[in-house]
Amino acid sequence: MTKKILIIDDDKIFSKILRDGLVAGGNGKYEVVTAFDGEEGFEVAMKEKPDLIMLDMMMPKVTGIEFLRKYRKEESGKNTPVIVETQLSDLEKMSEGVELGVRGYIIKSDYSLDTILRQVEDILK
Amino acid sequence: MFSPELIPIITILVAIYIVVVALSYWGVHRIKRGIYAKDSEMKRRLYELAILKEISDRTGYSLNIQKILDVIVGSLNQFLEYSAVSYMLLEPSKVVFKADIEKSVSTQFIKDVRTRMLGSLSALLGRDLSSAVVEETITGAIMIDALEEPVRSYFNIPLVIGDQLVGVLTVSHTKAGLYKESEMEILYKIVNQASQAVGKLEEVVKTEQGKIAAMLESMLEGVVMTDKDYHVIAANPASKIVIGYKGEAVPTIFNFMDAFKGVLDIRGKLEEAIKLDKILTIDEVFFGGKYYQVVVSPVKSNVGVTKGEILGGVVIFHDVTHEKEAEKMRSDFTSMMVHELRSPLGNIKKIGEMMRSSKVLEDKQASSEYVSMLYESSSSMLDLVNDLLDVAKLESGKFSIEKSSVDIKEILSERVKFFETSARDAGINMSLLVAEGVPNSVSVDAKRITQVLNNLFSNALIYTLKGGTVTAICFLHKKGQTISGEAQAVSAPWISDSMSGDTTILPDSVVVAVTDTGEGITPENIEKLFNKFTQFASSARDSEHKGTGLGLVIVKGIVEAHDGVVRVGSKLKSGSTFYFTIPL
Repeated sequence: MTKKILIIDDDKIFSKILRDGLVAGGNGKYEVVTAFDGEEGFEVAMKEKPDLIMLDMMMPKVTGIEFLRKYRKEESGKNTPVIVETQLSDLEKMSEGVELGVRGYIIKSDYSLDTILRQVEDILK
Repeated sequence: MFSPELIPIITILVAIYIVVVALSYWGVHRIKRGIYAKDSEMKRRLYELAILKEISDRTGYSLNIQKILDVIVGSLNQFLEYSAVSYMLLEPSKVVFKADIEKSVSTQFIKDVRTRMLGSLSALLGRDLSSAVVEETITGAIMIDALEEPVRSYFNIPLVIGDQLVGVLTVSHTKAGLYKESEMEILYKIVNQASQAVGKLEEVVKTEQGKIAAMLESMLEGVVMTDKDYHVIAANPASKIVIGYKGEAVPTIFNFMDAFKGVLDIRGKLEEAIKLDKILTIDEVFFGGKYYQVVVSPVKSNVGVTKGEILGGVVIFHDVTHEKEAEKMRSDFTSMMVHELRSPLGNIKKIGEMMRSSKVLEDKQASSEYVSMLYESSSSMLDLVNDLLDVAKLESGKFSIEKSSVDIKEILSERVKFFETSARDAGINMSLLVAEGVPNSVSVDAKRITQVLNNLFSNALIYTLKGGTVTAICFLHKKGQTISGEAQAVSAPWISDSMSGDTTILPDSVVVAVTDTGEGITPENIEKLFNKFTQFASSARDSEHKGTGLGLVIVKGIVEAHDGVVRVGSKLKSGSTFYFTIPL
């Protein structure tokens, strides 16, 4: 059974690499959808009901945290695992993310695709 | 012996002698008596002076008339005889009556004195005080009712400070016939001296208070002063603004306590400062959308006998919002910059990872996609690094330009040609308008001016929608003319700047402008355009209009290095005109 992953990230290049990496690394286990800001991300999440969300924290319009606050109030968003993508400098801002049930985080520029893939596998197992 | 006819002469001589001796005795005695009198007068005067001095020393810098009266009353018995000395002072809500009994008298005696004093106060004021609250203090010898001696002598001196009657001072005695007006000179002197001193001091205090009040009024910091019982004595307009107090009157401590409820215990801090005699500084009190540094300090007397005594407290609200904002802007800038550099670098690394391991890139199309992603990531990073370097150079003053004589019209048309391709791709029309009279040779740094044009054109293209137009304009400005007027004269599409002031004072220059039909910029955003901190942040957050955001900061630096100016005119939903001048 394929799992659906939603990537919400305004960095289109990173988003594409991550998508390709997940699709290729998952050997057909993962179906990946993308959105480029929190607003679009919310719409896609409501429609697609993903099994996992990869969420960028720093985005225009609606930020990652703002998305998460809104998303957690929705029935379908209550328990969906979320991995946040962040930079080292933003780690201290993560306490609210933890309160909002974030399951893991990746440091965008530092984590290799393999590490990210393992983390995704662990959560979706 | 001597002849009898000499006898009368001798008799006369003897008589004369006797008279002379007697007279001289009498004279010496008179002189002696005079000397004695003078001596005792002298002594009395000296004594008076000593007492006056003592009183003035002891009353010193006190403004408290009651304290001064206590001192006078305490020294009076040294030169005046009385059964009791008393004073009565008018206070806003009561009358203070204090009597010091020198020799025991009856209760009735004191009662009589009191009634008489109240009567004379009423008479002096022309106001009935018989129903006033009288606070009574009696000290000295005990009252013995068996002594039925009534008040037989009584003397009353009004206490006047400035022009105002503040009370009366009275000496009274059971003996009759004392206190003739002429003998009371010394008492008048003492009382006068005291009231003059207080009057003068009050004047000084009033002037000083006036000075302090004026200073407080004009202070940007909110200042609240309280007495030892935390009653607010003074609160300047800035402090009223801090708590949003609109009343005319001085706000109370409760106004401040209520306003800061849950944020800062103002009264508690005052108590701490006063009790511990310590200056307290509370940094970063966030209140009403602003950050304050709050300083709470005890206020101590620094003159006279009360020197060092704590008189009350003062609370100072120093608005540090701007400093906080600037600090935040700087740190935001740094973290955005790091983010903006790290993202493409991280992407480049991952692209490498993909190319090495993944099968994704076996596909030819995917592979070429990844190569262009690689190119995009690395060039955006390089652009940013270059821009950051330029800004750093501008800021450190190490930015230098190398001028040479060039044809600026040629540079402009070459740039228009360069951007035409991408404009066409975006469905934007590009045109060039060069007016007559622009000289063929202008002294500029051609490379840097090209950089300026690149920034202005790419911005114009980014913010102009499909179907819009971007026009490059070049004309001559003459001192005394307005640039917008000159633009109109050559029928250039032009959005006037309403905010950047008089252009008639600018020297003769070449004006280069780029007008777009884009979405326009709000006035507050125009202000931010040339600020590296705000511009960088908003651009980094704006993924649709990607750019380093530092472009205009650099444009301004380059143009200013040519002694020119950069201006912006914009109208929402109509477009913007960016122009710069190069003085000839």
